[in-house]
Amino acid sequence: MRKAIPAVIPFLVVTVALEWLVDAGWIKAFLMPPPSAVLQTMVRDWPELFAALAKTSAGALLGFLLSAAGGIAIAIFLSSSRAIQEAFYPYAVFFQTVPIIAIAPLLVIWFGYGMRTVVASAFIVSIFPVIANTLNGILSTDPALRDMFRLYGASPSATLWKLRLPAALPQILTGLRIAGGLAVIGAIVGEFIGGQGLGSVVDIARTQQRTDKVFAAVLLASVLGLALFGFINLLSRLALRRWHASEQ
Amino acid sequence: MNFTRRNFLQSIPVAGLFAACSKASKIRLALNWKPDPEFGGFYAADYAKHGLDVDILPGGAGTPTVQMIGAGSTEFGIVAADEVLLARAQGNDVVALFAVFQHNPMGIMVHASRKLESIGDVLKSGTLAIQSGLPYARLLQKKFGFDRVRVVPSPGGDLTAFLHDENFAQQCFVMAEPLQAKRRGVEVKVFPVSDIGYDPYTTVVAVGGDLLRKNSDMANHLVAAVRDGWRAYLDNAAPANEKMHALNPTIDAASFAEIADAQKGLIESNPLGKMTKERWDTLASQLKSLGDIKDVPPADQCFRDL
Repeated sequence: MRKAIPAVIPFLVVTVALEWLVDAGWIKAFLMPPPSAVLQTMVRDWPELFAALAKTSAGALLGFLLSAAGGIAIAIFLSSSRAIQEAFYPYAVFFQTVPIIAIAPLLVIWFGYGMRTVVASAFIVSIFPVIANTLNGILSTDPALRDMFRLYGASPSATLWKLRLPAALPQILTGLRIAGGLAVIGAIVGEFIGGQGLGSVVDIARTQQRTDKVFAAVLLASVLGLALFGFINLLSRLALRRWHASEQ
Repeated sequence: MNFTRRNFLQSIPVAGLFAACSKASKIRLALNWKPDPEFGGFYAADYAKHGLDVDILPGGAGTPTVQMIGAGSTEFGIVAADEVLLARAQGNDVVALFAVFQHNPMGIMVHASRKLESIGDVLKSGTLAIQSGLPYARLLQKKFGFDRVRVVPSPGGDLTAFLHDENFAQQCFVMAEPLQAKRRGVEVKVFPVSDIGYDPYTTVVAVGGDLLRKNSDMANHLVAAVRDGWRAYLDNAAPANEKMHALNPTIDAASFAEIADAQKGLIESNPLGKMTKERWDTLASQLKSLGDIKDVPPADQCFRDL
Protein backbone atom coordinates (compact mmCIF):
# COMPACT_ATOMS: atom_id res chain seq x y z
CA MET A 1 0.00 0.00 0.00
CA ARG A 2 2.80 2.37 0.90
CA LYS A 3 4.20 1.94 -2.58
CA ALA A 4 1.03 3.49 -4.03
CA ILE A 5 1.49 6.79 -2.19
CA PRO A 6 4.10 8.34 -4.55
CA ALA A 7 1.78 7.68 -7.51
CA VAL A 8 -1.26 9.15 -5.79
CA ILE A 9 0.40 12.48 -5.02
CA PRO A 10 0.75 13.70 -8.66
CA PHE A 11 -2.84 12.62 -9.29
CA LEU A 12 -4.11 14.68 -6.37
CA VAL A 13 -1.99 17.70 -7.29
CA VAL A 14 -3.19 17.68 -10.91
CA THR A 15 -6.81 17.14 -9.87
CA VAL A 16 -6.81 19.99 -7.36
CA ALA A 17 -4.94 22.30 -9.74
CA LEU A 18 -7.35 21.55 -12.58
CA GLU A 19 -10.37 22.12 -10.37
CA TRP A 20 -8.92 25.42 -9.25
CA LEU A 21 -7.95 26.56 -12.77
CA VAL A 22 -11.45 25.87 -14.11
CA ASP A 23 -13.07 27.42 -11.06
CA ALA A 24 -10.99 30.59 -11.42
CA GLY A 25 -11.96 30.83 -15.09
CA TRP A 26 -8.47 30.20 -16.50
CA ILE A 27 -9.71 27.14 -18.33
CA LYS A 28 -13.18 27.04 -19.83
CA ALA A 29 -15.31 24.23 -18.48
CA PHE A 30 -16.60 23.26 -21.95
CA LEU A 31 -13.02 22.66 -23.12
CA MET A 32 -11.71 20.90 -20.02
CA PRO A 33 -14.35 19.83 -17.52
CA PRO A 34 -13.42 20.26 -13.85
CA PRO A 35 -12.65 16.95 -12.07
CA SER A 36 -15.71 17.46 -9.85
CA ALA A 37 -17.99 17.50 -12.92
CA VAL A 38 -16.35 14.35 -14.25
CA LEU A 39 -16.87 12.67 -10.90
CA GLN A 40 -20.52 13.75 -10.79
CA THR A 41 -21.07 12.34 -14.27
CA MET A 42 -19.32 9.15 -13.27
CA VAL A 43 -21.69 8.72 -10.32
CA ARG A 44 -24.85 9.76 -12.18
CA ASP A 45 -24.22 7.68 -15.30
CA TRP A 46 -22.56 4.78 -13.46
CA PRO A 47 -24.88 1.98 -14.69
CA GLU A 48 -24.34 3.01 -18.32
CA LEU A 49 -20.61 3.59 -17.86
CA PHE A 50 -20.10 0.35 -15.97
CA ALA A 51 -21.90 -1.70 -18.62
CA ALA A 52 -19.71 -0.01 -21.25
CA LEU A 53 -16.58 -0.67 -19.22
CA ALA A 54 -17.50 -4.35 -18.91
CA LYS A 55 -17.89 -4.63 -22.70
CA THR A 56 -14.64 -2.81 -23.40
CA SER A 57 -12.82 -4.93 -20.82
CA ALA A 58 -14.07 -8.12 -22.45
CA GLY A 59 -13.03 -6.91 -25.92
CA ALA A 60 -9.63 -5.66 -24.82
CA LEU A 61 -8.90 -8.76 -22.75
CA LEU A 62 -9.85 -11.18 -25.52
CA GLY A 63 -7.81 -9.21 -28.05
CA PHE A 64 -4.91 -9.16 -25.61
CA LEU A 65 -5.05 -12.91 -24.93
CA LEU A 66 -5.14 -13.63 -28.66
CA SER A 67 -2.16 -11.31 -29.16
CA ALA A 68 -0.25 -12.97 -26.35
CA ALA A 69 -0.87 -16.49 -27.62
CA GLY A 70 -0.55 -15.60 -31.31
CA GLY A 71 2.42 -13.29 -30.81
CA ILE A 72 4.44 -15.86 -28.85
CA ALA A 73 3.56 -18.62 -31.33
CA ILE A 74 4.56 -16.47 -34.30
CA ALA A 75 7.82 -15.49 -32.60
CA ILE A 76 8.66 -19.15 -31.94
CA PHE A 77 7.97 -19.92 -35.57
CA LEU A 78 10.11 -17.00 -36.73
CA SER A 79 12.97 -18.04 -34.46
CA SER A 80 13.14 -21.51 -36.02
CA SER A 81 15.45 -20.42 -38.82
CA ARG A 82 17.05 -17.32 -40.23
CA ALA A 83 15.46 -17.93 -43.63
CA ILE A 84 11.95 -18.06 -42.16
CA GLN A 85 12.66 -14.95 -40.18
CA GLU A 86 13.83 -13.08 -43.26
CA ALA A 87 10.82 -14.27 -45.24
CA PHE A 88 8.09 -13.48 -42.71
CA TYR A 89 9.28 -10.86 -40.24
CA PRO A 90 8.56 -7.94 -42.61
CA TYR A 91 4.91 -9.06 -42.67
CA ALA A 92 4.75 -8.99 -38.90
CA VAL A 93 5.75 -5.35 -39.09
CA PHE A 94 2.59 -4.85 -41.13
CA PHE A 95 0.59 -5.23 -37.93
CA GLN A 96 2.44 -2.35 -36.39
CA THR A 97 1.85 0.01 -39.26
CA VAL A 98 -1.71 -0.81 -40.28
CA PRO A 99 -3.82 2.34 -39.86
CA ILE A 100 -6.72 0.71 -38.11
CA ILE A 101 -9.11 3.58 -38.88
CA ALA A 102 -8.48 3.20 -42.60
CA ILE A 103 -9.44 -0.46 -42.67
CA ALA A 104 -12.28 0.03 -40.20
CA PRO A 105 -15.11 -0.33 -42.73
CA LEU A 106 -13.55 -3.59 -43.88
CA LEU A 107 -13.24 -4.93 -40.35
CA VAL A 108 -16.96 -4.39 -40.02
CA ILE A 109 -17.61 -6.31 -43.23
CA TRP A 110 -15.29 -9.17 -42.25
CA PHE A 111 -16.28 -9.50 -38.63
CA GLY A 112 -19.67 -7.81 -38.40
CA TYR A 113 -20.72 -5.06 -35.99
CA GLY A 114 -20.10 -5.75 -32.33
CA MET A 115 -17.64 -7.76 -30.29
CA ARG A 116 -15.73 -9.55 -33.04
CA THR A 117 -14.68 -6.31 -34.73
CA VAL A 118 -13.59 -4.93 -31.36
CA VAL A 119 -11.50 -8.02 -30.58
CA ALA A 120 -9.98 -7.97 -34.07
CA SER A 121 -9.02 -4.33 -33.70
CA ALA A 122 -7.48 -4.90 -30.24
CA PHE A 123 -5.59 -7.91 -31.61
CA ILE A 124 -4.20 -6.15 -34.70
CA VAL A 125 -3.01 -3.19 -32.69
CA SER A 126 -1.39 -5.18 -29.88
CA ILE A 127 0.25 -8.23 -31.45
CA PHE A 128 3.43 -6.67 -32.83
CA PRO A 129 5.18 -5.81 -29.55
CA VAL A 130 4.62 -9.40 -28.40
CA ILE A 131 6.19 -10.79 -31.57
CA ALA A 132 9.12 -8.39 -31.56
CA ASN A 133 9.98 -8.76 -27.89
CA THR A 134 9.52 -12.53 -27.75
CA LEU A 135 11.66 -13.02 -30.85
CA ASN A 136 14.33 -10.79 -29.43
CA GLY A 137 14.26 -12.74 -26.16
CA ILE A 138 14.48 -16.12 -27.85
CA LEU A 139 17.32 -15.04 -30.10
CA SER A 140 19.37 -13.59 -27.29
CA THR A 141 19.55 -16.80 -25.25
CA ASP A 142 22.98 -17.15 -23.66
CA PRO A 143 25.15 -18.96 -26.28
CA ALA A 144 27.02 -20.83 -23.56
CA LEU A 145 23.78 -22.37 -22.30
CA ARG A 146 22.73 -23.20 -25.84
CA ASP A 147 26.02 -25.01 -26.37
CA MET A 148 25.52 -26.92 -23.16
CA PHE A 149 22.04 -28.10 -24.29
CA ARG A 150 23.59 -29.22 -27.55
CA LEU A 151 26.43 -31.05 -25.82
CA TYR A 152 23.94 -33.02 -23.76
CA GLY A 153 21.97 -33.82 -26.91
CA ALA A 154 18.77 -31.98 -25.91
CA SER A 155 15.97 -32.20 -28.50
CA PRO A 156 14.83 -28.96 -30.21
CA SER A 157 11.57 -29.00 -28.28
CA ALA A 158 13.37 -29.49 -24.98
CA THR A 159 15.68 -26.61 -25.88
CA LEU A 160 12.67 -24.45 -26.65
CA TRP A 161 10.64 -25.27 -23.54
CA LYS A 162 13.45 -25.63 -21.02
CA LEU A 163 15.87 -22.99 -22.24
CA ARG A 164 14.82 -20.54 -24.89
CA LEU A 165 11.32 -19.62 -23.72
CA PRO A 166 12.24 -19.35 -20.04
CA ALA A 167 15.26 -17.25 -20.98
CA ALA A 168 13.00 -15.03 -23.10
CA LEU A 169 10.45 -14.53 -20.30
CA PRO A 170 11.61 -11.07 -19.23
CA GLN A 171 11.32 -9.80 -22.81
CA ILE A 172 8.01 -11.60 -23.36
CA LEU A 173 6.61 -9.88 -20.30
CA THR A 174 7.85 -6.52 -21.56
CA GLY A 175 6.05 -7.19 -24.83
CA LEU A 176 2.89 -8.10 -22.93
CA ARG A 177 3.06 -4.91 -20.87
CA ILE A 178 3.13 -2.81 -24.06
CA ALA A 179 0.44 -4.97 -25.66
CA GLY A 180 -1.90 -4.51 -22.69
CA GLY A 181 -2.15 -0.75 -23.10
CA LEU A 182 -2.39 -1.05 -26.87
CA ALA A 183 -5.19 -3.63 -26.61
CA VAL A 184 -7.28 -1.13 -24.65
CA ILE A 185 -6.69 1.54 -27.30
CA GLY A 186 -7.41 -0.97 -30.07
CA ALA A 187 -10.64 -2.07 -28.40
CA ILE A 188 -11.86 1.51 -28.08
CA VAL A 189 -11.01 2.31 -31.69
CA GLY A 190 -12.85 -0.88 -32.67
CA GLU A 191 -15.81 0.28 -30.65
CA PHE A 192 -15.92 3.58 -32.52
CA ILE A 193 -16.74 1.59 -35.64
CA GLY A 194 -18.22 -1.57 -34.15
CA GLY A 195 -20.50 0.36 -31.85
CA GLN A 196 -20.45 -0.66 -28.19
CA GLY A 197 -18.62 -0.11 -24.92
CA LEU A 198 -16.64 2.94 -23.87
CA GLY A 199 -15.76 3.78 -27.49
CA SER A 200 -19.41 4.22 -28.29
CA VAL A 201 -19.95 6.28 -25.13
CA VAL A 202 -17.07 8.58 -26.12
CA ASP A 203 -18.37 8.87 -29.69
CA ILE A 204 -21.89 9.78 -28.60
CA ALA A 205 -20.82 12.11 -25.78
CA ARG A 206 -18.52 13.95 -28.18
CA THR A 207 -21.39 14.56 -30.60
CA GLN A 208 -23.42 15.93 -27.72
CA GLN A 209 -20.54 18.19 -26.62
CA ARG A 210 -20.52 16.39 -23.26
CA THR A 211 -16.81 16.72 -22.46
CA ASP A 212 -17.48 15.65 -18.86
CA LYS A 213 -18.78 12.31 -20.07
CA VAL A 214 -15.95 11.93 -22.59
CA PHE A 215 -13.46 12.35 -19.77
CA ALA A 216 -15.37 10.00 -17.48
CA ALA A 217 -15.18 7.30 -20.17
CA VAL A 218 -11.52 8.03 -20.91
CA LEU A 219 -10.73 7.79 -17.21
CA LEU A 220 -12.39 4.37 -17.02
CA ALA A 221 -10.41 3.26 -20.06
CA SER A 222 -7.18 4.23 -18.34
CA VAL A 223 -8.25 2.38 -15.21
CA LEU A 224 -8.74 -0.67 -17.41
CA GLY A 225 -5.29 -0.17 -18.93
CA LEU A 226 -3.77 0.18 -15.46
CA ALA A 227 -5.50 -2.97 -14.24
CA LEU A 228 -4.14 -4.93 -17.17
CA PHE A 229 -0.69 -3.50 -16.55
CA GLY A 230 -0.92 -4.41 -12.87
CA PHE A 231 -1.96 -7.94 -13.73
CA ILE A 232 1.04 -8.41 -16.03
CA ASN A 233 3.34 -6.96 -13.39
CA LEU A 234 2.01 -9.50 -10.94
CA LEU A 235 2.67 -12.30 -13.42
CA SER A 236 6.12 -10.91 -13.98
CA ARG A 237 6.85 -10.88 -10.24
CA LEU A 238 5.68 -14.44 -9.81
CA ALA A 239 7.64 -15.70 -12.77
CA LEU A 240 10.87 -13.78 -12.40
CA ARG A 241 11.49 -12.97 -8.77
CA ARG A 242 13.64 -16.04 -8.12
CA TRP A 243 16.12 -15.51 -10.88
CA HIS A 244 15.90 -12.22 -12.77
CA ALA A 245 17.39 -8.95 -11.63
CA SER A 246 14.42 -6.86 -12.79
CA GLU A 247 12.14 -8.33 -10.11
CA GLN A 248 14.58 -8.73 -7.23
CA MET B 1 18.88 62.60 -35.21
CA ASN B 2 21.29 59.74 -35.29
CA PHE B 3 19.70 56.32 -35.21
CA THR B 4 21.51 54.87 -32.20
CA ARG B 5 21.38 51.41 -30.83
CA ARG B 6 19.04 52.63 -28.13
CA ASN B 7 16.65 53.99 -30.76
CA PHE B 8 16.79 50.71 -32.51
CA LEU B 9 15.99 48.77 -29.35
CA GLN B 10 13.13 51.14 -28.58
CA SER B 11 11.70 50.63 -32.00
CA ILE B 12 11.60 46.85 -31.70
CA PRO B 13 8.42 46.65 -29.62
CA VAL B 14 6.72 49.02 -32.05
CA ALA B 15 7.79 46.94 -35.02
CA GLY B 16 6.59 43.88 -33.15
CA LEU B 17 3.25 45.51 -32.60
CA PHE B 18 2.92 46.24 -36.30
CA ALA B 19 3.85 42.69 -37.13
CA ALA B 20 1.32 41.39 -34.64
CA CYS B 21 -1.41 43.61 -36.06
CA SER B 22 -0.82 42.62 -39.64
CA LYS B 23 -0.87 39.01 -38.53
CA ALA B 24 -4.10 39.46 -36.57
CA SER B 25 -5.92 40.80 -39.62
CA LYS B 26 -5.75 37.30 -41.08
CA ILE B 27 -8.94 35.63 -39.96
CA ARG B 28 -9.73 31.93 -39.89
CA LEU B 29 -12.85 30.13 -41.02
CA ALA B 30 -12.85 26.52 -39.82
CA LEU B 31 -14.83 23.95 -41.80
CA ASN B 32 -16.21 20.79 -40.18
CA TRP B 33 -15.48 18.61 -43.21
CA LYS B 34 -13.20 18.43 -46.23
CA PRO B 35 -13.73 20.93 -49.06
CA ASP B 36 -16.90 19.86 -50.86
CA PRO B 37 -19.88 21.57 -52.51
CA GLU B 38 -21.48 22.05 -49.10
CA PHE B 39 -18.84 24.80 -48.64
CA GLY B 40 -18.80 26.06 -52.25
CA GLY B 41 -19.80 29.63 -51.45
CA PHE B 42 -16.95 30.02 -48.98
CA TYR B 43 -14.45 29.14 -51.68
CA ALA B 44 -16.22 31.33 -54.23
CA ALA B 45 -16.19 34.38 -51.95
CA ASP B 46 -13.92 37.34 -52.72
CA TYR B 47 -12.90 38.26 -49.18
CA ALA B 48 -10.34 40.85 -50.25
CA LYS B 49 -13.11 42.88 -51.85
CA HIS B 50 -14.65 43.18 -48.39
CA GLY B 51 -11.33 44.12 -46.81
CA LEU B 52 -10.71 40.71 -45.24
CA ASP B 53 -7.88 38.23 -45.42
CA VAL B 54 -9.51 34.87 -44.75
CA ASP B 55 -7.81 31.53 -44.26
CA ILE B 56 -10.22 28.62 -44.79
CA LEU B 57 -9.24 25.67 -42.59
CA PRO B 58 -10.55 22.36 -43.94
CA GLY B 59 -11.75 19.88 -41.31
CA GLY B 60 -12.44 16.18 -41.07
CA ALA B 61 -14.52 13.69 -39.12
CA GLY B 62 -15.36 15.16 -35.76
CA THR B 63 -13.56 18.51 -36.14
CA PRO B 64 -14.92 20.30 -33.07
CA THR B 65 -15.51 23.67 -34.76
CA VAL B 66 -17.93 24.84 -32.10
CA GLN B 67 -15.34 24.28 -29.38
CA MET B 68 -12.60 25.78 -31.55
CA ILE B 69 -14.61 28.99 -31.74
CA GLY B 70 -15.06 28.97 -27.97
CA ALA B 71 -11.36 28.33 -27.43
CA GLY B 72 -10.39 31.13 -29.81
CA SER B 73 -8.45 28.80 -32.10
CA THR B 74 -10.56 30.07 -34.98
CA GLU B 75 -12.50 33.30 -35.43
CA PHE B 76 -15.32 31.82 -37.50
CA GLY B 77 -16.44 28.23 -37.87
CA ILE B 78 -19.03 26.12 -39.63
CA VAL B 79 -21.49 24.50 -37.26
CA ALA B 80 -25.09 23.28 -37.22
CA ALA B 81 -27.83 25.17 -35.43
CA ASP B 82 -28.36 22.42 -32.86
CA GLU B 83 -24.67 22.57 -31.99
CA VAL B 84 -25.02 26.27 -31.25
CA LEU B 85 -27.84 25.59 -28.79
CA LEU B 86 -25.96 22.77 -27.07
CA ALA B 87 -22.80 24.88 -26.88
CA ARG B 88 -24.62 27.87 -25.42
CA ALA B 89 -26.27 25.66 -22.81
CA GLN B 90 -22.76 24.67 -21.68
CA GLY B 91 -21.55 28.24 -21.39
CA ASN B 92 -19.79 28.31 -24.76
CA ASP B 93 -20.86 31.70 -26.12
CA VAL B 94 -21.22 30.98 -29.84
CA VAL B 95 -23.50 33.00 -32.11
CA ALA B 96 -24.85 31.99 -35.54
CA LEU B 97 -24.47 34.54 -38.35
CA PHE B 98 -25.36 32.96 -41.68
CA ALA B 99 -27.19 29.72 -42.49
CA VAL B 100 -26.19 28.18 -45.80
CA PHE B 101 -28.66 25.30 -45.70
CA GLN B 102 -32.16 26.53 -45.00
CA HIS B 103 -33.30 22.95 -44.71
CA ASN B 104 -31.59 20.00 -43.10
CA PRO B 105 -29.69 18.10 -45.81
CA MET B 106 -29.42 15.05 -43.56
CA GLY B 107 -31.35 12.01 -44.67
CA ILE B 108 -31.52 8.25 -44.37
CA MET B 109 -30.67 6.27 -47.46
CA VAL B 110 -32.03 2.76 -48.08
CA HIS B 111 -31.92 0.28 -50.94
CA ALA B 112 -34.88 1.01 -53.21
CA SER B 113 -35.45 -2.72 -53.57
CA ARG B 114 -36.74 -2.86 -50.00
CA LYS B 115 -39.76 -0.80 -51.07
CA LEU B 116 -39.95 1.14 -47.82
CA GLU B 117 -42.47 3.98 -47.69
CA SER B 118 -41.46 6.12 -44.74
CA ILE B 119 -38.74 6.76 -42.21
CA GLY B 120 -40.79 4.72 -39.74
CA ASP B 121 -40.45 1.67 -42.03
CA VAL B 122 -36.66 2.00 -41.93
CA LEU B 123 -36.80 1.41 -38.20
CA LYS B 124 -38.76 -1.80 -38.49
CA SER B 125 -35.98 -4.09 -39.71
CA GLY B 126 -32.39 -4.43 -40.83
CA THR B 127 -29.47 -2.26 -39.79
CA LEU B 128 -29.34 1.51 -39.47
CA ALA B 129 -26.01 3.36 -39.38
CA ILE B 130 -26.40 6.75 -37.72
CA GLN B 131 -24.57 9.03 -35.31
CA SER B 132 -26.59 8.07 -32.26
CA GLY B 133 -25.45 11.18 -30.40
CA LEU B 134 -27.18 13.54 -32.82
CA PRO B 135 -30.51 14.96 -31.66
CA TYR B 136 -32.37 13.68 -34.72
CA ALA B 137 -31.27 10.13 -33.91
CA ARG B 138 -32.72 10.38 -30.43
CA LEU B 139 -35.86 11.97 -31.82
CA LEU B 140 -36.20 8.96 -34.12
CA GLN B 141 -35.69 6.65 -31.17
CA LYS B 142 -38.30 8.50 -29.15
CA LYS B 143 -40.80 8.42 -32.01
CA PHE B 144 -40.36 4.90 -33.34
CA GLY B 145 -38.12 3.03 -30.90
CA PHE B 146 -34.94 1.19 -31.83
CA ASP B 147 -36.01 -2.26 -30.69
CA ARG B 148 -36.59 -3.76 -34.14
CA VAL B 149 -33.66 -2.24 -36.00
CA ARG B 150 -29.97 -2.77 -35.33
CA VAL B 151 -28.36 0.62 -34.77
CA VAL B 152 -24.65 0.85 -35.59
CA PRO B 153 -22.23 3.79 -35.84
CA SER B 154 -22.27 5.86 -39.01
CA PRO B 155 -19.31 5.08 -41.26
CA GLY B 156 -19.17 8.73 -42.43
CA GLY B 157 -19.38 8.87 -46.21
CA ASP B 158 -18.10 5.31 -46.64
CA LEU B 159 -20.48 3.08 -48.58
CA THR B 160 -18.77 -0.31 -48.20
CA ALA B 161 -21.27 -1.78 -45.75
CA PHE B 162 -24.24 -0.23 -47.55
CA LEU B 163 -23.31 -1.67 -50.92
CA HIS B 164 -22.60 -5.01 -49.33
CA ASP B 165 -25.89 -5.49 -47.47
CA GLU B 166 -29.32 -4.82 -48.91
CA ASN B 167 -30.87 -4.35 -45.47
CA PHE B 168 -28.35 -1.72 -44.47
CA ALA B 169 -29.69 1.85 -44.12
CA GLN B 170 -27.35 4.75 -43.63
CA GLN B 171 -27.33 8.37 -42.56
CA CYS B 172 -26.40 10.57 -45.51
CA PHE B 173 -26.41 14.00 -47.03
CA VAL B 174 -29.38 13.83 -49.37
CA MET B 175 -27.38 15.30 -52.24
CA ALA B 176 -24.12 13.39 -51.77
CA GLU B 177 -24.05 9.70 -50.82
CA PRO B 178 -27.18 8.69 -52.79
CA LEU B 179 -25.41 9.93 -55.91
CA GLN B 180 -22.33 7.86 -55.11
CA ALA B 181 -24.49 4.78 -54.49
CA LYS B 182 -26.29 5.21 -57.83
CA ARG B 183 -22.93 5.49 -59.56
CA ARG B 184 -22.00 2.13 -58.05
CA GLY B 185 -25.14 0.63 -59.53
CA VAL B 186 -27.44 0.61 -56.51
CA GLU B 187 -30.90 2.14 -56.72
CA VAL B 188 -31.61 4.01 -53.50
CA LYS B 189 -34.45 5.77 -51.79
CA VAL B 190 -33.79 8.68 -49.46
CA PHE B 191 -35.90 9.86 -46.55
CA PRO B 192 -34.99 13.40 -45.45
CA VAL B 193 -34.74 13.78 -41.69
CA SER B 194 -36.91 16.88 -41.99
CA ASP B 195 -39.77 14.40 -42.60
CA ILE B 196 -39.99 13.89 -38.85
CA GLY B 197 -40.06 17.63 -38.28
CA TYR B 198 -36.41 18.00 -37.35
CA ASP B 199 -35.11 20.77 -39.54
CA PRO B 200 -32.22 22.78 -38.05
CA TYR B 201 -30.21 25.20 -40.13
CA THR B 202 -26.95 23.56 -41.12
CA THR B 203 -23.59 24.69 -42.53
CA VAL B 204 -24.03 27.75 -40.37
CA VAL B 205 -21.27 30.36 -40.03
CA ALA B 206 -20.77 31.07 -36.33
CA VAL B 207 -18.57 33.35 -34.28
CA GLY B 208 -17.67 33.78 -30.62
CA GLY B 209 -19.92 36.22 -28.75
CA ASP B 210 -16.91 38.17 -27.48
CA LEU B 211 -15.49 38.76 -30.92
CA LEU B 212 -18.92 39.72 -32.25
CA ARG B 213 -19.37 42.39 -29.57
CA LYS B 214 -15.82 43.76 -29.93
CA ASN B 215 -15.61 43.69 -33.68
CA SER B 216 -19.06 43.51 -35.20
CA ASP B 217 -17.67 45.19 -38.32
CA MET B 218 -15.52 42.20 -39.07
CA ALA B 219 -18.54 39.91 -38.72
CA ASN B 220 -20.60 42.19 -40.98
CA HIS B 221 -17.92 42.16 -43.65
CA LEU B 222 -17.51 38.41 -43.46
CA VAL B 223 -21.25 37.81 -43.81
CA ALA B 224 -21.41 40.18 -46.79
CA ALA B 225 -18.48 38.39 -48.44
CA VAL B 226 -19.97 34.97 -47.76
CA ARG B 227 -23.37 36.03 -49.08
CA ASP B 228 -21.80 37.31 -52.31
CA GLY B 229 -19.77 34.12 -52.49
CA TRP B 230 -22.83 31.91 -52.25
CA ARG B 231 -24.69 33.98 -54.82
CA ALA B 232 -21.75 33.53 -57.17
CA TYR B 233 -21.56 29.79 -56.43
CA LEU B 234 -25.25 29.24 -57.03
CA ASP B 235 -24.98 31.08 -60.34
CA ASN B 236 -21.80 29.36 -61.48
CA ALA B 237 -20.24 26.66 -59.37
CA ALA B 238 -17.43 25.77 -61.76
CA PRO B 239 -14.57 28.06 -60.60
CA ALA B 240 -14.94 27.24 -56.89
CA ASN B 241 -15.49 23.55 -57.66
CA GLU B 242 -12.18 23.49 -59.47
CA LYS B 243 -10.47 25.06 -56.47
CA MET B 244 -12.07 22.58 -54.06
CA HIS B 245 -11.41 19.58 -56.29
CA ALA B 246 -7.72 20.44 -56.18
CA LEU B 247 -7.87 20.44 -52.38
CA ASN B 248 -10.05 17.34 -52.15
CA PRO B 249 -9.47 15.05 -55.13
CA THR B 250 -11.46 12.22 -53.49
CA ILE B 251 -14.60 13.74 -55.03
CA ASP B 252 -14.40 13.76 -58.81
CA ALA B 253 -15.18 16.83 -60.88
CA ALA B 254 -18.50 15.49 -62.19
CA SER B 255 -19.74 14.79 -58.66
CA PHE B 256 -18.79 18.30 -57.60
CA ALA B 257 -20.97 19.72 -60.35
CA GLU B 258 -23.87 17.36 -59.70
CA ILE B 259 -23.93 17.88 -55.94
CA ALA B 260 -23.67 21.65 -56.35
CA ASP B 261 -26.70 21.50 -58.58
CA ALA B 262 -28.68 19.13 -56.36
CA GLN B 263 -28.22 21.20 -53.21
CA LYS B 264 -29.49 24.49 -54.69
CA GLY B 265 -33.06 24.01 -53.48
CA LEU B 266 -31.93 23.60 -49.89
CA ILE B 267 -29.92 26.83 -50.01
CA GLU B 268 -31.86 29.44 -52.01
CA SER B 269 -33.54 32.02 -49.81
CA ASN B 270 -34.09 35.72 -49.75
CA PRO B 271 -31.67 36.98 -48.65
CA LEU B 272 -29.22 34.09 -48.68
CA GLY B 273 -28.26 32.87 -45.22
CA LYS B 274 -31.43 34.16 -43.60
CA MET B 275 -32.60 32.82 -40.24
CA THR B 276 -35.82 33.38 -38.32
CA LYS B 277 -36.65 33.52 -34.65
CA GLU B 278 -39.48 31.00 -35.08
CA ARG B 279 -37.21 28.32 -36.50
CA TRP B 280 -34.70 28.80 -33.67
CA ASP B 281 -37.50 28.61 -31.11
CA THR B 282 -38.86 25.38 -32.64
CA LEU B 283 -35.42 23.81 -32.60
CA ALA B 284 -34.78 24.89 -29.03
CA SER B 285 -38.05 23.37 -27.82
CA GLN B 286 -37.22 20.12 -29.63
CA LEU B 287 -33.85 19.96 -27.90
CA LYS B 288 -35.53 20.75 -24.60
CA SER B 289 -38.02 17.93 -25.07
CA LEU B 290 -35.07 15.59 -25.66
CA GLY B 291 -33.50 16.77 -22.42
CA ASP B 292 -30.41 18.15 -24.21
CA ILE B 293 -30.92 21.64 -22.87
CA LYS B 294 -32.71 22.76 -19.72
CA ASP B 295 -34.28 26.00 -20.93
CA VAL B 296 -35.28 27.47 -24.26
CA PRO B 297 -32.89 30.42 -24.67
CA PRO B 298 -34.02 33.72 -26.22
CA ALA B 299 -33.52 33.22 -29.94
CA ASP B 300 -31.86 36.59 -30.43
CA GLN B 301 -28.92 35.40 -28.31
CA CYS B 302 -28.38 32.41 -30.55
CA PHE B 303 -28.24 34.13 -33.90
CA ARG B 304 -27.56 37.62 -35.18
CA ASP B 305 -29.48 38.90 -38.13
CA LEU B 306 -26.88 40.94 -39.97
